Formats: sequence, structure tokens, C-alpha cells
Amino acid sequence: MATFATVDLVKYLCTCEKKFPICRLYLCKHCLKLRCIDCVQHEVDTPYCPNCLEIMPAQEAKLKKNRCSNCFDCPVCGHTLMTRASGHISPNPEDPNKSVTKKTYYLACGFCRWNTRDINMLDQTVATGNWPMLENPHVKRINNLLENYKLMAQVEKADRERKKYVKRRSHLYLQDKFNLSPSVMKRKGLSSFSSLSLKEGDKTIEDLEPSVPVESFDPLPNDYYTQPAALEKTTKLVHRLSVPEFQPEDVSKLHPINKHLIMKKSLRCRECEHNLSKSDFNPCSIKFKIQLTALHWVPEVRIMTPSTFTYNKETLVTLTMSNPSVFNTTVTLSQIENETDVDYCTAKVELPKKELVLASRDEPSMHVYEDSSQAHEFKDDPKLIVFRKGNKIGFVVKVTPVVPQGDVKICFLLKHEFRNTTVAALQSESKEPEIKWLEHKVYLCLGTI
Amino acid sequence: MSAPKAPVNPNLKIMAGALVCEDCELIGDITIGARTVIHPKARIIAEAGPIIIGEFNIIEELVTITNKSSTDANSGKVLIIGNNNVFEVGCHVEAIRIGDHNVIESKAKVGSKVEISNGCIVGCGCILNMNEALPENTVVYGDKCERRIQRERPPAQMLQIDFLTRILPNYHYLMKPNLNVNVRAPVKK
Ligand SMILES: [Zn+2]
Ligand SMILES: [Zn+2]
Ligand SMILES: [Zn+2]
Ligand SMILES: [Zn+2]
Repeated sequence: MATFATVDLVKYLCTCEKKFPICRLYLCKHCLKLRCIDCVQHEVDTPYCPNCLEIMPAQEAKLKKNRCSNCFDCPVCGHTLMTRASGHISPNPEDPNKSVTKKTYYLACGFCRWNTRDINMLDQTVATGNWPMLENPHVKRINNLLENYKLMAQVEKADRERKKYVKRRSHLYLQDKFNLSPSVMKRKGLSSFSSLSLKEGDKTIEDLEPSVPVESFDPLPNDYYTQPAALEKTTKLVHRLSVPEFQPEDVSKLHPINKHLIMKKSLRCRECEHNLSKSDFNPCSIKFKIQLTALHWVPEVRIMTPSTFTYNKETLVTLTMSNPSVFNTTVTLSQIENETDVDYCTAKVELPKKELVLASRDEPSMHVYEDSSQAHEFKDDPKLIVFRKGNKIGFVVKVTPVVPQGDVKICFLLKHEFRNTTVAALQSESKEPEIKWLEHKVYLCLGTI
Repeated sequence: MSAPKAPVNPNLKIMAGALVCEDCELIGDITIGARTVIHPKARIIAEAGPIIIGEFNIIEELVTITNKSSTDANSGKVLIIGNNNVFEVGCHVEAIRIGDHNVIESKAKVGSKVEISNGCIVGCGCILNMNEALPENTVVYGDKCERRIQRERPPAQMLQIDFLTRILPNYHYLMKPNLNVNVRAPVKK
């Protein structure tokens, strides 16, 4: 879990030159480059309701304005409303001496205790659906406008086509002039032009009533100044803005809000168009079909303990590095030569010169490793490698701040082996996956002086 | 498990029918009404004056109810808690007075200058520390302690009280009621 806490101390440089914590980055296994949320293509897979988990096809979702028709949010606090049942005893219509219990349903918020009875909404006889919907008072106008925009778009499209045609015609004309054009071509062009103009002709843009600007407002009623404000009866701005089509001013006008749909999203590398992240189609599932988060492929650098720094004085800082791969991985660290930007580099750093070997990640034995035997196995230099535990090592870097105050920031180039296991699985003849070397720039903020 | 016998509080009055677990702290002059359920580990401290708790209340674990004098003027006043109130786990109440049918939710704090009328709900973690009287059916909710007035007050917890009266004696030692008053009608809705 530590990976996801204080994420802004260690950042990796994405291919697009933005810095992100490693848990926010993806590694495209086809380009072998880091990608971040800002430089990948986002795609909507399926809209679904976060409450009833029902999938809605994109077209239907658009028609329903991206809202679920069965689930509601509280208009006061925004929590999901629950359906509550209550029993009513009413006389039996067939036998007046007997009574029947009738179940009715209403919606209630478990958080602020708002319920549909508060606004005198009638209880329903069925548990789902059937809740009365408010009719948008402006629906006619909106439809008119939409219709108009559609027509306008069509006209514009025709216009564009014609321009294309006109251009071609001038060309034709030239050809004609030089006696190059076969007359067939000319006729063809003409016919297409006439069909275009015909299409435009049968639909004309309706004369829309222009909107009337509001020029003056009624003065505030006297009560406003003389009566104490009835805060418990007035809605707040958030209540009004959550339903822009009605904007209720009185709490009695609040109405359950249809729940917004959310979507399953997939991410795609812009360069090679391969998927970087694709979630399972089923909304109940939290699994991914494809998830190329950098955490699974790139060694993760973390700061082990905070240190105190003094200007121009060398301090030993212990960093840890863990290997996500199932293979032993060799890593080298080197200086970034031309990093002069003091925003990201305020200290000189002396890095381990030798290659560091990270043991493979082996989930079952991760917690039983003995440090000493492992250290022996990898012939670690105890001055350099402070500890080794499973797939993790602690190593020392010497940091000398070059600024008298402020944050101590260092950066280095992390070069590591990468074995593309999926490609290896495809080409099963070669048993050992091919080794590639990847380079990442790592920026650390170690603390303040 | 054997609970250590708490020293007998001479000023503690428990009506017949009340269910008070032995493993709770009751200090000072306290009267507990019939059918009120007090869970183990609740603390009721009559510091500045007596505390009178009505009927059909549920006081859950780790609830602290203190009669504190917020000013000299009201020192020695009696903290009266009405009927059908629910004090949920870990809430902290020092109110001047509490009416009927209120719910103080978990970890809520009601300060010593607050007066709670009837049908109010103080939501989880909400803190009331102003000098105020909550109007009837107020709901305080959310991290900003927003307020609204609800139309109906929270329902009485009769089923829950019946359930607890059946279950709690199986697992906890109880304090013996020491007052048998038949002034009031046994069931009050
Ligand atoms: Zn990027
Ligand atoms: Zn739904
Ligand atoms: Zn609500
Ligand atoms: Zn790619």
C-alpha cells in the first residue's frame, strides 16, 4: 500500500516529458515507453449504472441523457436513495369486515433522512420503476433548437461538398478549355451538383423565435427585508445546480435525481494503438483484461527514511528499489548529464557505480527470505547495499545539497533489464525471453534543508 | 467472563423493566426509566446535577452522557432525557435537555449549551457546540453539519428494544432494578 501513499516524492518522467508517480504510469509493451494518463487515448467502453450495475448501450445511454431510470440520488445530499417498503392496512374491497395489508414503497436517503414523503410524493405500489418524472418545461424549445442545429449542420456539410465540387468544376472547366475533359465526366459532375442542391431544397431552416434577453428583474418583495430568512425552506445553490432544468427554490420542489451513469474506460497507446488498460466488460467485475501499469514492469524506487540535510555537506540517503519482474533484474543508475533545471535538481548525488541485481519477485516466499543468505548469494557489498529482502534492496546514495535552503531534489537515470514475457509466450520456441534495456528518468524529493 | 461488581451507587435509581448492563459506568444521581436499555461500556456521569432518563431509550456502547454545568447559573440543574431516544455507539452528549424521539448517531457530539427538542437527528460525527436549541425534527448531517427539517420524526425502536431485552441478558450481567413504580402506564407510545 505504501506505493500509493505520499506519491509525489518519487516521480518518473513519462515519454511526454511529464512527471508522474510510478503507480500512475503505464508501460506500453509494444513501444516499450512509459505513457501517462495525459498522453494516452481514452475510450468509453460501456456506460453502466454504478448502483444497479446494469449495462446500457451507448446509444440508449445518450437517449436517456446518461442516467439510470431505476436508481435515484438524494436531491439534498446526493447519496443514493433506498427503496423502503411500508405496510398499510386498508379494508378489503370484497369483504368489508376483513382488512388487507397493502405494501407501498417510497424512496428514502439513509444519510440525511430525506424521503419522497417529505415532498408529498405518493407512495408506489411497485418497488422499481414507475416513479413520476418531472417534465422539463423547456423541452419544446430545446428540441426546436436541436432540430435547427441538425439542419444547419446538414447545410454546412452540403456547402462543403459544393465547394469541393466548385473547385473540381473549375478544374474541369480548365480541362474543358483545353479540350481535355471527356464530356461524360462533366455530366457526372453536373448531376451530383443538382442532387446536392435538391437535397438542400426540401428541408428549409425553420424560422426560430430568437431568445428574449431579460432586461429587468422584479424588485425583491418586501418580505425579503422584513421577514427572517426561512433557511430550512430554501434550497442551496448545489441543490439548484444539480438539476439545471428545474432549479427548485423551495425544498418542497426537490425531486429524486436519476443516477448518473459511469463508464468502463479503456486506454490506448497513441503511437502503436495497442491497449494499455482494458477493463472486464462485466460491471460487477473489478478485474482488467489488459492492465499494463508501469508498476508491474519497472523497478520501483522509494525513499526509505527521511534524512536531515545541510548545505554543501554530504548526507547518506537510503533508497529502496523493488523488482516487479519474475526474473532477476540488473539495474544501473547514472547521472543525468544535462539536468541543470534547479526546479528538479538541487543536490549533487553520488550513485552506486556497480550494477545492482534485484532478485526476482516470488510471491509465496516473499515474506520468509533470510537477509544474510541472500546477501551472500548475490555477493553484495555491505557498504553499498544496506539490506536485501526478497525482491527488494536498500542502497545508499550520497547527497550533497547545492542550495542553502529549500527542497533537496535529486534525479538520476534508471536503466533496467526488461523481459517481455507476453511476447515470449507467443514465440514459445525460444525459451528465454529477449532482454531489452529500458531507461527512465527518476526525480526524487528527499526532504528540506 | 465475570464482571467485577461495581461499587453500589446509592443515588442510582433503576425502574423495573429497564435493562442496565453491569459493565457500565453510572456516577452520581441517575434515574433510569422503564424499558430503557443501557449497553455495556456506556458512561453516564451526573456531575453538575442529577440525570433523569425516560422510557424506551437505547444507550449503546461507549456512549458518554454527562450533566455538565456550562455556566454557574445552571449548576445543579437536572439533565432530563425524554422517551424513545437512541444514543448510538460512541456519541458524546452533554446537552441541557433532550426531548423525545431523537437519534444521536455514532461519534456525534452534543455540547453543554445545546437543547434538543423532539424528533431530531444528530448525524454521525456531527458536532454541536453552539448555544442553541434545536427546533423540532431537525436533521444535522454531513461533514459540514448541514441542517434540514424533516417532516416525520424518527420512528420508535420498539422492535430493537424487545430484541435487546431478549439478547443482552444472555451475555451480560445486569444491574437489578431498585424502583418499582407503577405510577406510569407500562406501555407508552
Ligand atoms: Zn505522458
Ligand atoms: Zn441503476
Ligand atoms: Zn440525502
Ligand atoms: Zn505503444
